[in-house]
Amino acid sequence: MQNVSEPAIAPERDATVKPAPARALVQLEGLKFRWPGSDDDVLDIPELQVREGERIFLRGASGSGKTTLLSLLGGVIQPREGSIRVMDTELSALGASGRDGFRADNIGFIFQMFNLIPYLSLVDNVTLSCRFSKARRQRVSARGASLTQEAERLLSHLRLDVAKLGRRPVTDLSVGQQQRVAVARALIGSPGLIIADEPTSALDTDARVAFIELLFQEVAASGSTLVFVSHDPALQDLFDRTVSLAEINRAYQPPES
Amino acid sequence: MSIYSLTLRSLLNRKTTALLTIFSIAVSVMLLLGVDNIRREAKAGFANTISGADLIVGARSGSVQLLLYSVFRIGNATNNISWHSYQEVAGMKRVKWTIPLSLGDSHRGFRVLGTNTDYFEHFRYGAKRELAFSDGGRFEDVYDAVLGAEVAEKLGYKLGQSVVISHGAGEVSFANHDDKPFKVVGILKKTGTPVDRTVHVSLEGIEAIHLGWDSGAPSGSISAEQARHADLQPKLITAFLVGLDSKLATFTLQRAINNYRGEPLLAILPGVALQELWSMMGVAEVALLAVSAFVVATGLIGMLTVIWSGLNERRREMAILRSVGAKPRHIFVLLMIEAGLMAVCGVLVGVAMLFLTLFAAQPALESYFGLFIGVDPLTVDNLAVLGGIILAGVLIGAAPAYRAYRYSLADGMTIRT
Ligand SMILES: Nc1ncnc2c1ncn2[C@@H]1O[C@H](COP(=O)(O)OP(=O)(O)O)[C@@H](O)[C@H]1O
Ligand SMILES: [Mg+2]
Repeated sequence: MQNVSEPAIAPERDATVKPAPARALVQLEGLKFRWPGSDDDVLDIPELQVREGERIFLRGASGSGKTTLLSLLGGVIQPREGSIRVMDTELSALGASGRDGFRADNIGFIFQMFNLIPYLSLVDNVTLSCRFSKARRQRVSARGASLTQEAERLLSHLRLDVAKLGRRPVTDLSVGQQQRVAVARALIGSPGLIIADEPTSALDTDARVAFIELLFQEVAASGSTLVFVSHDPALQDLFDRTVSLAEINRAYQPPES
Repeated sequence: MSIYSLTLRSLLNRKTTALLTIFSIAVSVMLLLGVDNIRREAKAGFANTISGADLIVGARSGSVQLLLYSVFRIGNATNNISWHSYQEVAGMKRVKWTIPLSLGDSHRGFRVLGTNTDYFEHFRYGAKRELAFSDGGRFEDVYDAVLGAEVAEKLGYKLGQSVVISHGAGEVSFANHDDKPFKVVGILKKTGTPVDRTVHVSLEGIEAIHLGWDSGAPSGSISAEQARHADLQPKLITAFLVGLDSKLATFTLQRAINNYRGEPLLAILPGVALQELWSMMGVAEVALLAVSAFVVATGLIGMLTVIWSGLNERRREMAILRSVGAKPRHIFVLLMIEAGLMAVCGVLVGVAMLFLTLFAAQPALESYFGLFIGVDPLTVDNLAVLGGIILAGVLIGAAPAYRAYRYSLADGMTIRT
């Protein structure tokens, strides 16, 4: 039923009704952050907006604070000043425990590498993100699927053969396979926001584009918004929009050398 | 799946390390409980050995020494007492019965005790239990012998068997009284006391085999038949047990014996001498328990080391868990459960190993050392100690758990490797 060829449109939407202008899914204002023990801000971002359904490419040199920004979006750390709204929720108003719950329900993370927990099976690595979120479990069962079925469905969409790969330890998977498992984990239970932190930097150049296309396809299918971080400008043309951290971050320090 | 099953899988993933950690805790727990069990059993064994006698009388020496050689057949008397003195004490007011004890000979490593039939009448062990025969009966003839249960079992002796007594108490003796063999006429039932390892003969029998041995080695040759007609009235005995009409008279009689003018005698109360023995062993006991406690501490520190050193490589795992919504508290609990689980498993395996080892070692201890170590159920104290070990394990787990908790707050979404 999902319209894979038009990934920008969420599946539930009625195509005959003209969509209202997309609202802001992420809204940053006057954000300032510094790491404990440091005297300088890493981030000082007056404004940043990501619209619902958008796939944005966040570019920045290594060490420029990309991961830090993503941690802030995920509510793992707190800004010194300013506001972060994700899906109309002000994160700083939630409290630490509330932010953990919010992240569990609404955000899917994909890391650069080592995304998998070595002692969990392939399927358990995917369903792991439902373990801390009732909302995600409910969204899966609303589709009429069990967690395992949903994990297997996503994995096969991502061209991973559970019957073949599921028995072996996940550490035996290739890096490319591991990254796709991470995509399935981020997407299960359709969280509103997917955050990918340099997920392609451990892949071959050829594999990168293929990976991103698969990612787009599944992000569209679940109607999520994607924030994709990389230092590799070659990928940016694939995205709806590119944001350069150097341009929006007033605390940006050009790398020496 | 809950956070508990995550811990479980994480531990299973590190099977070898986890099992070794559990095993080292288990061994330490086994040692601690084993020492305690043996200590209690040894005390109970000693306390059960004699229960009927009010006083033990021997030549003047230390009271613990007298207790050890007269009742436990450990060590030797330095001096004997005269038959005359024995008769005089036996005739004192309030004395209900006496059992003379004459020690110094052996049969293939088992002590030989010369006594009279009052022994079978009045000797009590355990909860005032009487001696009973599994076969045959008391000695009557000069050359009759009654075997303790273990002697008969070990040497495979039956009634009617002839037994040669050796001079001295060693396993191998070159001075055998082989011209005067004894005949087994009775075998006692098992008592779990030194009685089981004793060959009992009459005082006259002891006298007969020593005829012409005044210098400690055979001088003349007097045949077994000739000896029967000699004067077999003993002149010396090693010690004797005394039973009184009334416990109230104990101290009066003790004083009377200790002040006996004929020769220096010592009368002791078995219970008091046992207490003295305990207090002598107390230091060793405490030292053993302290060593075992340190071994337990070592086991727990080993666990701490294992968890702590694994922490760094698990930071990635924690960041992943955090990214899917785990709270820092979950990370804390994860590690606490891990420590608690290993401690609980260590304790359970340790208890299992203890009982297996005790049951397995029991026959060996009994046959090589004559030490019967009963297997006691765990006492309330033991359970409290085990609870304490588990609690200590959990508390120790709090240190790495807190560190992981700090990591997971400080790392953000950075995956460190
Ligand atoms: N957990 C942390 N604690 C302290 N400083 C950090 C931490 N993570 C990152 N930093 C610092 O913040 C800056 C930005 O890092 P990061 O966000 O990881 O950059 P990027 O992801 O763009 O490579 C760096 O100078 C880095 O040293
Ligand atoms: Mg980074």
